[in-house]
Amino acid sequence: MDGAGTGARPQVGEAFPDLDLPDHTGRGRRLSEIAADDPVVLIFSRGWWCPKEQRAMRVLAELQDEFEVAYSKLVVVSIDPPEVQSAFRAGLGARFTFLSDAERRWIDRLDLLEHTDTNHLPYRPAAFSLFPDLRIHAAYNGYWSWGRPTAEELRRDMRAISREIRPDWEL
Amino acid sequence: MSTPLDGPGRIVVFDGASLALDPDADGRAFLADERCFEGPPLERAWASVCASIDPGATIRFDEPEVQFARREAFAWWIPLLGADLVCLTTLALDGARYGGAITVVRSERDLGDDPFAQLFPGRVIECGGLFSEVAPPPGPVVERYAGAPWPGGSFSG
Repeated sequence: MDGAGTGARPQVGEAFPDLDLPDHTGRGRRLSEIAADDPVVLIFSRGWWCPKEQRAMRVLAELQDEFEVAYSKLVVVSIDPPEVQSAFRAGLGARFTFLSDAERRWIDRLDLLEHTDTNHLPYRPAAFSLFPDLRIHAAYNGYWSWGRPTAEELRRDMRAISREIRPDWEL
Repeated sequence: MSTPLDGPGRIVVFDGASLALDPDADGRAFLADERCFEGPPLERAWASVCASIDPGATIRFDEPEVQFARREAFAWWIPLLGADLVCLTTLALDGARYGGAITVVRSERDLGDDPFAQLFPGRVIECGGLFSEVAPPPGPVVERYAGAPWPGGSFSG
């Protein structure tokens, strides 16, 4: 999908595009490099200003204590510039990576523009649980808040992916 | 000299004032994330070395204070250093014991806030020609991969 124009929203079973975006420190990153050998929860967020996003990010910040010992990654993408993400991240006490698409390079290609917010033109809230090779295990449309994955659903996704990729799961 | 047990990682020797990659160099030997030496080394770089040459200076990797320092690295140390960061590695003595940490930057600066200095005192030394750039760990995983010095290693061999 890299280099494509307006794209289709990634679907379960497909490979998620290997996003290349600056992180919250401004350093260029690739999604595949962040994933490495681990499953990933990839969250698309409107931005720091939205109360719904602030609430959702607090849930992720609580979950990170489980992810940090479970060989699983958390990544948030928003249109906030890196310096804004860095401040937001610090305020949340988050220790995972934020990726900045302030230039909106991927938003159309992923078909995730929230058309109804003509002021910010942000990402429509969405979440994807990914295998290490970026295949999509589960997808969530969080335009309405109840569409977002719960912490328990993310745990179940990480369990299902880990069961499949860790050869010693049944040890 | 305290010889580390076999384990993944690259041997780094610290004599209290300088670092060497020669395993036979004088000083205390540690295992570091081998990715820090895979690329072209930076000709000019500085390292915050938080380690002791005392062979008894060690903490288990799984102790809460070592976990805490790694969380601090994700929370603010890596963001604070930003583009100046070249690489970061903990120092292992074997698969279970922590011996210190090294943070490498590309410009001479105050590195006194190094969170790993809470475990073993840090000192800043010039280290041109040794370390290469490695993308910082993305977080939030603080566990080690197959006993490798954090944040290196992998499960895929």
